[in-house]
Amino acid sequence: MTDLYDAEVRFGQSLYGYQLDLETLNRQMERHGIARAVLCPVRPPSYDLSPANDAVAAAVASDPTRFVGFARVDPWQGERALAELDRAVGDLGLRGLYLDPWEDHFVISDALVDPLVARAAAGKLPVMVTGGYTNFSHPSQLAALARRHPEATIVATHGGQLNISGLLLADAQIMLRLAPNVIIETSGVYREDFIEDCIAEFGPGRVLFGSGTPIFDQGYETLRIRLAHVDDAVKQQIGWDNIARLVG
Amino acid sequence: MIIDSHTHIDEAGFWLDPPETILRLMDEAGIEQAVVMTYRDAPLPGGSDPLAYVADACRRYPRLIGYARMNPRHGEQAVRELERAFRDLGMKGLKLHPVSYIMHPSSPETLELLRTAAAWHAPTLFHCGDEEFTLPYQIAQAAALVPEATIILGHMGGYFHVEDAIQAALTYPNLILETSAMPYPAMIKRAVDLVGAERVLFASDGPGCDPTLEVAKVRAAGLSAAEEELLFSTNIERILARVGR
Repeated sequence: MTDLYDAEVRFGQSLYGYQLDLETLNRQMERHGIARAVLCPVRPPSYDLSPANDAVAAAVASDPTRFVGFARVDPWQGERALAELDRAVGDLGLRGLYLDPWEDHFVISDALVDPLVARAAAGKLPVMVTGGYTNFSHPSQLAALARRHPEATIVATHGGQLNISGLLLADAQIMLRLAPNVIIETSGVYREDFIEDCIAEFGPGRVLFGSGTPIFDQGYETLRIRLAHVDDAVKQQIGWDNIARLVG
Repeated sequence: MIIDSHTHIDEAGFWLDPPETILRLMDEAGIEQAVVMTYRDAPLPGGSDPLAYVADACRRYPRLIGYARMNPRHGEQAVRELERAFRDLGMKGLKLHPVSYIMHPSSPETLELLRTAAAWHAPTLFHCGDEEFTLPYQIAQAAALVPEATIILGHMGGYFHVEDAIQAALTYPNLILETSAMPYPAMIKRAVDLVGAERVLFASDGPGCDPTLEVAKVRAAGLSAAEEELLFSTNIERILARVGR
C-alpha cells in the first residue's frame, strides 16, 4: 500500500508535557508515508481550549489539502462548550468533535456529554473519543454513549481498549457488536490480532488508522496497518478511505 | 540472532494457540528461538497438565524454551510442581500472572515460588502492567524480599507504568525489563540509557502481538548495534545458561 491518512494527531503544546509543532509533524509525515492527517487540539498550559482550537485551524490553513482539524471542548463547561463547538465549526471550519475524557476528567457515558454529541450529530460531524481509559472511557461506557446517540458516528481511539492483560478485549468487541455507530482507531492498541479479528467480524469499515502521535510513535503506529495480515484493499480502507469518508 | 523472551502456546481455554502458530510468526519475524508458556496456570484440577503440554511442545520443537506458569494459591503443591518442571520437564523459568489468580506479588505463597526458581537459578517472568497486583512497585516488593531471584518485568509497566518500571529497576538490581506489547519505542531507549542494555530483554507476547512488529519496535528505539544484540539475544542467553547449575 502507499500513503496513509492519520486520523489522530495531537497538535500543539500540551499541559501534560508533550508537544508537536507543524514543522516536526510535516517532517514525520514525510518520513512515514502519511499524506493527510486530522489534527486534534491538546489541552494547553493555559487550560483554555479555545486557543488550542485556533492553533489547529491555523495549522490546517497552512495546507488544507493535507490537514483537517477537529474541535476539542470541555463538557464540564456546559453552554460555553456548545458555543465553542459552534465557533470552531462555524468560524474556524473544523470538521469533527474531539473529546478526551482522560485528560479532561469526565466520564464519557455521563449525561454531561449528551448535548455535545447531539450537536455534533446534527451537524454530521464525527465524534472522536480517547477510548479505553477505565473509569473514564471504558468500552462499556463508550457503548452506552453510542447507543444513546445512534445518529452519531463515534470513533473510539486505541481500539477502545488500553489494557496489556487483554482484560478489555471482550468489552471492546461487545461495544462494536452493540453499537454499529462505533468505529475503532488503532493507535497503541493491544494485540494486532485484535485489529484483524475486528476486521473479520465487523468489516473493514469499522476500523481506521490513527497514530495518536506524539503520545505514540507515528512511524511505529503505521506498522500496525502496513504489517497487518489483511489484503491491500482492506489496508486501503482502514489506512485511508474510512477517515476520508468521515471528514468529507 | 533473535530470541523472543515471552510468547504463548495453549490449546485449552479462551485462546487457542498451538505451537505451530508462534513458530510461523517467528519465521515471519526472523526469530530463531522463543520462550513459551501457557495461558493457564498450573496446577489444574481434573488431570489437565499445562506443564506437560509445554514440555511436549519443546521436545517436538527444539526452538522453543519452556517456562512453567504457576498459581501460587496452591501453596506446597505449586512448589512441588515447579520443582518437577525444572527437574523432570526441562523448564527454564517461572511465569506468574497475578491477575490470573488474584494474589499480591509479595504474598508468602508467591515468595516461595520465587525462592524455588532462584534455587534453580531460573528467572521469574512477572506480567507487569497497569492492573492491581501487577504494578512495578508491587512486584518490586517481591524483588526486595527475594534478592536472589532474577525477576523479569514483562511488558515493563504496560501503558501507564513504564516510568515506574524503570525507576523500580534502578532501585532493585534483580529486576530486568522486558519490551513486549508496551507501545513506546522511546521508552526502550530510556530504559537502556538509565538501567543499562544488559538489563532489558526483547519479547513479543506473540502470537497475539505480532513478533514482526515487536522486533520493529526495538529497531525503532535508536539503539546501537551492540545494545540491540544484548536485547535480542545475549541477555536472555546469559540468564538461561545458569538454569539448573
